[in-house]
Amino acid sequence: MFSSPTPAPGSRTLASNALRKAGLIDRDAKMRDVSDKPGGRKGSSKARSHRTRPIDVYKDAGPTHSLSTRLNINASRAESSDSLSVRGASSRPATAGRLRRNAVSGAVGTDSPSLIPVRASNRTTIKGVEPWRRLIQKRWHPDTALLDLSNMIEDDIVKKFNLSPPGHGGSSRDAAVVFKLARELKPQVQSLNLAKNHLSGQHLSLLSHYLPGLANLSLQDNDLKSYRDLDFVSGRKDKLVGLKELLLAGNPLREEMIKRDVEQFKNEVSRRFPSLMTLDGQPIAQISFDVSREPNKPTTTVPEPFSTTFPVEMSGSLIVGVDGGLLSNFLVRFFSTFDSQRAALKNAYDSAATFSYSCNTSIPERARTLALHHKLPNQRKLEWGPWLDKGNAGSRNLLRLAHSHEKQVQRLFIGGEAIANYVSTLPITKHDISGPPEKFCVDCFPVAHGGMMGLLVMVHGEFTELPAEGLRSFDRTFVLVPAPEGSRAKLSGWDVVIISDQWTIRAYSSSDAWKPGPMVVQPDPALNRQKDAGPSATDSNPGQTRPLLSPEQQNALNQIPDPQRSMVLHICVRTGLNVQFSYDCLTNNGWDVEKAFANFEQVKGTLARDAFL
Amino acid sequence: MTSTSSIGSAVTVLTRDDISIATRAADKFTQLYYTTYDSPSRLADLPNFYRPVSSLTWNGKPLQGPDGLRSLIEKMPPTKHEMQSFDCHPIPGASPPSLLVTVSGTVVHGKPAPHAPGQRSKSVEGQARVYSQTFMLVPDSAAAPSQPGEPAKYYIGADALRFVG
Repeated sequence: MFSSPTPAPGSRTLASNALRKAGLIDRDAKMRDVSDKPGGRKGSSKARSHRTRPIDVYKDAGPTHSLSTRLNINASRAESSDSLSVRGASSRPATAGRLRRNAVSGAVGTDSPSLIPVRASNRTTIKGVEPWRRLIQKRWHPDTALLDLSNMIEDDIVKKFNLSPPGHGGSSRDAAVVFKLARELKPQVQSLNLAKNHLSGQHLSLLSHYLPGLANLSLQDNDLKSYRDLDFVSGRKDKLVGLKELLLAGNPLREEMIKRDVEQFKNEVSRRFPSLMTLDGQPIAQISFDVSREPNKPTTTVPEPFSTTFPVEMSGSLIVGVDGGLLSNFLVRFFSTFDSQRAALKNAYDSAATFSYSCNTSIPERARTLALHHKLPNQRKLEWGPWLDKGNAGSRNLLRLAHSHEKQVQRLFIGGEAIANYVSTLPITKHDISGPPEKFCVDCFPVAHGGMMGLLVMVHGEFTELPAEGLRSFDRTFVLVPAPEGSRAKLSGWDVVIISDQWTIRAYSSSDAWKPGPMVVQPDPALNRQKDAGPSATDSNPGQTRPLLSPEQQNALNQIPDPQRSMVLHICVRTGLNVQFSYDCLTNNGWDVEKAFANFEQVKGTLARDAFL
Repeated sequence: MTSTSSIGSAVTVLTRDDISIATRAADKFTQLYYTTYDSPSRLADLPNFYRPVSSLTWNGKPLQGPDGLRSLIEKMPPTKHEMQSFDCHPIPGASPPSLLVTVSGTVVHGKPAPHAPGQRSKSVEGQARVYSQTFMLVPDSAAAPSQPGEPAKYYIGADALRFVG
């Protein structure tokens, strides 16, 4: 259905193209994945520590010249940590720093047969930023907006001035100095190569602060060990929001995680960098929008939101493009079967239909203020436990399952049979669909689906959960299509068949939330003062009271089965017609609320006074 | 699950990867959408999610396309959305599939009601509302990926919002 996330033919080419454009790799360098070359390349461990590297490796040390070669080596490297440990040179920056101080004093550890000339290294040399500025100038490619800071320890400038680059004795503060200098470059840095610097997450904690506009970032062959390290890179929310490409190969985190579950790894990275399109040369985002959160966008001239009132009132159920009877038949049958005999719903779902439910366990603020939890009799008996985890299944709130790709898959049920079996294990519910219509709210309109017309149906309402007899609120979204002739659904009497069903279960809130009428944005301060001052505060319950129906009208309304009843009520409220006229108007217009309303608008001048409430 | 499927001409099997990609897409979309909605420049940016064919409803009020949305949000108070749960299905029957995303969360309009610290407001006015929002994300056939691996461009084909608490 989607193009495969494993590299489709050409996807590597794409990544390489992007990198080439960004200047991260040379024309002929191919992106390779560790999986391509399980053995890795001999000598790849050189990447880890300058101390163990034979001298010949940095003969070609012009960093821009050798970058592609190194990136290439690094992309195909593997298992370097083993060889490192054999040689006894730790990749931890702290250790590296200590070893170097040892080197200064001439007491090179016997476990560290360094071939690198001993250099004096101390922190004081960094206080002059000038050498760093020179390094950055040297490594800066303004034509491609690429700053290549890979393998800084091998740079002549670093050697000459005895600098301690971050990751080699330099701290995160030193790293911040570098990033700050990089911020001053013109044009703005688009691509940053920090490969091979022994960097941990801490070193990168100010990267997103100083360079929030990065589009391409290579962190290959560093020392990122955990997702927490990655959090330092992504920074707080809304940092690095324009990052398109990221290279993490050769970090312990990535190498460990892709062994376990590569999709999960992609999920974790993608969550931290929402705009990311390729990760280690593979496409990660399969979907994009015409909206981006590019930072430093020129300030737009649109007015900022200022209104203190809502542009429109709360309206009743909106049902368009469908015969109301058809919809109500479906809903009545669905919910009553759901309450009494869930296994029988098997045929209501297409054989490729999807179902999941998710729990929003938060306590709604308004319901709390109204103390609904205490005023209603059985609310305290309700527990979330039976909903949240059901062995391999349970709530599919993706906010909570971000870390478990496995559960994301397990908790999505596909096909009528599987769905019916699954819902049969959920707590018993009682939807009072024949009760007061205002307890439910239905919005429904047509959507194009795979060349045919489908219906998108949103039902908001409440149900009683058994055995506790407490109330819960829910939102349920269906995608329906006409049941094809001869299909199992049609043969079972369903005119429409479900192809998708998502059910949100949440703590109880009053149905007053969708009571038609004007809504209040802010309490009127003047009113508040009055209330505070007055001994008998009026009912603080907001919302507009609807014109009440007379007892006869209410009685007539009660005769009408739901959900026609709510449609009748809708027309009554909108037009002022009485129940009988509203009913007739809807009947004459195929139970299409909008048609009925349009019809009313045409003829209202001709209606007698007694047609109205 | 495919042999008896009767819906649409392009019946396809949902793979683990499809589900995974849909999840990432929804995650990314919801973050982007509500950040844009809550930003001062929403009037310029939010309509870009939509196309003229997009159907919207806001608390029962039908609106059409980017213009409909613009007319709504230019008079909407500043917002602060907080997602509390969301879910996403690839909808079987088309390739690449449309995505059905449902979100449950809270939204505050205007500035939060000021009240003395430690003292809970006795009035629900000004307090966060619970909202339920459903999106159908549809691949834009006019902007099909030109190369394999390139992300498909999506837009909001349908958007239905209700205050529900």
